[in-house]
Amino acid sequence: MIPVALEPYLLLAFAAVIPTAIWRISAVLLARRIRETSPVFDWVRFVATALLAGVVVKLIFSPSGALGAVPLYGRLGGVAAALATFFFAGRRELLAIAVGEAVLIGSYFLAN
Amino acid sequence: MHGVLPSPSSSALRFWAKGFKDAASLPAPLLAMGLIGIGPLALAVGHPLGAAIASTLFVWAGPAQVLFYGGLAAGLSPLGIATAVTLSSVRFLPMTMSLLPLVRRPGQSLLQQLLMSHFVTVTVWSESLRRLPHMPQEERVPYYFGFAMACCSISTLATGVGYLLSGQAPLPIAAGLLFLTPMFFTVSISAGARGLSDGVAIASGFLLQPIALALIGPELDLLLVGLVGGTAAFVLDRSRTRAA
Repeated sequence: MIPVALEPYLLLAFAAVIPTAIWRISAVLLARRIRETSPVFDWVRFVATALLAGVVVKLIFSPSGALGAVPLYGRLGGVAAALATFFFAGRRELLAIAVGEAVLIGSYFLAN
Repeated sequence: MHGVLPSPSSSALRFWAKGFKDAASLPAPLLAMGLIGIGPLALAVGHPLGAAIASTLFVWAGPAQVLFYGGLAAGLSPLGIATAVTLSSVRFLPMTMSLLPLVRRPGQSLLQQLLMSHFVTVTVWSESLRRLPHMPQEERVPYYFGFAMACCSISTLATGVGYLLSGQAPLPIAAGLLFLTPMFFTVSISAGARGLSDGVAIASGFLLQPIALALIGPELDLLLVGLVGGTAAFVLDRSRTRAA
């Protein structure tokens, strides 16, 4: 029988730590076999970039917790505003994030 | 631990400290704000403070942590949660692989590479890809560890603070904190974009995701998006370099 106090930690290890570590460890083992100048490394960088864009879409369309209280147009508008700010206002990351957040929080007050 | 942590020579320590300081000046506190929200999620499912802190320190992947606690709150089975987290964390494979050529050294131990891989997260990955190529080889590993450890330690602290302050933040602020993660992802990939091919990778990721979701469902959709969008961008990049 597992002590009740340990349960959250075992759950965390089984259902979150191992499922993420497995990819990082596999990456190290795979990369060790490939020489540094291989185009494989360019390819995986593009795959990672496309994947991250996909994760953004998932986080926007199926929000968790408090983020679900903000209307979809606020979440979409926030990301779009951050992107536009980044590319059209001098590639300043902090400014882009601030504008995106302002749109998100503004949309919350508009909707409520 | 010899060979795992930067050797305690004064120059390695100096590069480590430089990395730590560079991260602590902005990227780490910003990333940490995004992980404050993990605390309340852990409290909501009745987990202790220690487990919330351990999740940021050892999982070190905001969306995976959100999925884990969200799954528990929804009453999913541990195996179901483990499967969902595994499939949604596939990005760490290409991210870690593309980072490694920058920090590999001849004779480097497997243990050191595994430790470096643990710290890979979007902020650490994108900042490293941008900063490390301009640095001499011998500075990169200690700088990387300093940068990554600043991000991880400050964020772990933030998750603890979030747990203790749980329920104190007004709803729009709590939503704004959770919104930081998709914002970082967006801004990080945009900042890392170096040309048309990167733009294609980003745009195809955004556009393909809803299609992939409809085609193969919420488990394998990201894998399809990454493979198709990434390969399209890669092929375009190759043909352009060959033409040039």
